[in-house]
Amino acid sequence: MKVTYGKAITAALQEEMRRDDKVMIWGEDVAQFGNIFGLTRGLLEEFGPKRVRNTPIVETAIIGSAIGAAETGLRPVVELMYSDFTMPAFTEIFHCVSKWRYMHGPEYKLPLVIRNASGSSNGAGAEHSNTVEALFMHAPGLTIITPSTAYDAKGLLKSAIRSDNPVLFCEPKLLYQSKQEVDEDTFNSDYTIPIGLADVKREGTDVTLIAVGLMVPRALEAAERLAQEGISVEVIDPRTLAPLDTETICNSIKKTHLLAIVEESNKTNGIGAEFAARFQKEMYDELDGPIERIAAIDVPMPYNMAMEKYVIPDVDNICETIRGMI
Amino acid sequence: MAYSNEFLKGLYKDLLMMRLTEKRLYELYAEGRIPGHIHSGMGQEASFTGILNTRKKGDYFKQTHRPASTCLLVGTPLEVFFGEILAKKSGNSGGRGGILHVGRLQEGMLGFSGVLGCDEAVPVGAALTIQMEGRDNIAYAFSGDGASNRGPVAEAMELAAAWQLPVLFCCENNGFAISTPFESVYRTKNSLADRAAGYGMPSEVADGTDVLDVYEKASKMVEYVRSGKGPAVIECRDYRWRGHFEGDQCAYRDAKVTEEHIKNGDSVKNFEKKLLADGVLTEEEADKMKADYSEKLEAVIKEAEAQPEMTSDEVLDGLYA
Repeated sequence: MKVTYGKAITAALQEEMRRDDKVMIWGEDVAQFGNIFGLTRGLLEEFGPKRVRNTPIVETAIIGSAIGAAETGLRPVVELMYSDFTMPAFTEIFHCVSKWRYMHGPEYKLPLVIRNASGSSNGAGAEHSNTVEALFMHAPGLTIITPSTAYDAKGLLKSAIRSDNPVLFCEPKLLYQSKQEVDEDTFNSDYTIPIGLADVKREGTDVTLIAVGLMVPRALEAAERLAQEGISVEVIDPRTLAPLDTETICNSIKKTHLLAIVEESNKTNGIGAEFAARFQKEMYDELDGPIERIAAIDVPMPYNMAMEKYVIPDVDNICETIRGMI
Repeated sequence: MAYSNEFLKGLYKDLLMMRLTEKRLYELYAEGRIPGHIHSGMGQEASFTGILNTRKKGDYFKQTHRPASTCLLVGTPLEVFFGEILAKKSGNSGGRGGILHVGRLQEGMLGFSGVLGCDEAVPVGAALTIQMEGRDNIAYAFSGDGASNRGPVAEAMELAAAWQLPVLFCCENNGFAISTPFESVYRTKNSLADRAAGYGMPSEVADGTDVLDVYEKASKMVEYVRSGKGPAVIECRDYRWRGHFEGDQCAYRDAKVTEEHIKNGDSVKNFEKKLLADGVLTEEEADKMKADYSEKLEAVIKEAEAQPEMTSDEVLDGLYA
């Protein structure tokens, strides 16, 4: 069967709410409206207004209340709608959520998930198109997950809800409608995907390409095209950005001896910057060339769609960079 | 209201405990025995003692940065308190959080953010747990007049009001946000109490130097919140005796005014005089209570100072659950 990324998110929420009545959802427009992308549609009807709650527009209080609820026994899955709206609650996420347990002691577990729709979406403009993983990778204590397929999204969201650590769960909104062929029985089963485990989406021998979120399908398309030119690309989707599965990545580098990272966020201080710094040191003896970063151009996202397309890496950009590495 | 002698003595004991602990904290700091900063809560004991004596088992608390000794009122053991403040392994976070993060969840302490106000919705979330579980508990959300101006406090009040959650917002107005006098930034008579109506909440304002006035006004609001009618506000007006931090010369305020407040608005002495006059307490009893607590304090401090500290190989411990 074919399933969309969006439906996978809905299914994960529904299954976890059925499994555990401590799991609750709150955020802006998540109840009757069913979330701005329709992902929580039907949950109010099934679970009622006590467990599926609309909030006023109070980002700081959505996060703060999730902390208080989580440490006292609930398992909140809260929404901040666009990833850009993590910014009004930046302090609450950066200082409070990520540090709470470390600052107060092991009693203070925070089993909470902060869902956010991230990245570009056809002319959403400078303040509704950001990816925020790199910003929050600077906050030790936070688990950061960005799945790229429907199957991964469902299994990882379920793991996130069951985790006793706070999770920032990023959903590239351009992927919501993307369909994936999955085995029906497996997809409908109560499967989970471990947090902190990367996935080799395509095996290859010449170049290791780490791709995040929306860039995963583009990296796979680029790998297909490059294969026809005789370049074999191994595409790795970290899925969890913090804590990172360095083992899978290092094993790949040992095989290919070349590394590139492709992400939707800005290049400066991006995910690729951190990974490049990390692996050039850890894998110095294995690498045969400089690590390449493929990322968005360092500008506020233009509203004009042709310009938006130009700013974010596409299949051509990825192919061009990798050809240059060989 | 008529109170039993036992209850009145209990209030006095709490006031004494806070006063003597706060005093010992800045003394230890002056001796270089405490790292970081101390925000002394001297003079503000009655606001916290009065409000927190309305608590019952199962309630939750979000304190403020001063007085640190608030958590002792709800039952945090002195050993844990001094362990954390002296940065020892015996502290609740093993000495990695520090004086702003003292307390234990098992006593209902929800934790605190050093970025004041950012934690104001934490008790709102705890109140949601209470509401979901159908308990008649409440969550106390303390903030000062300074932090009460912040956006997250407004958002926390808005959410608590929208969901009619059992939260008592407790504003302890000591007259200063670091150096900025309350009167210079507020265009209302009170701080949070005058904003309560904007969220459909009732409010009471108490004399924060009179423990019984605080207790009575807080009791009214607690009864309202506990009965499931929604959140409410209690504001206590007291005075910050010492600087924002130890070492603050307080050049921004008139020392004579401060002296007047210390002379006339001493909640511990005033309450002690009242209890002596009313025959509830004898001087011998009062002296013994002070001596007993001081002795205990010294023993705990001595023991806490001898506790081991976390070492660098433990720095990552507990980062993830």
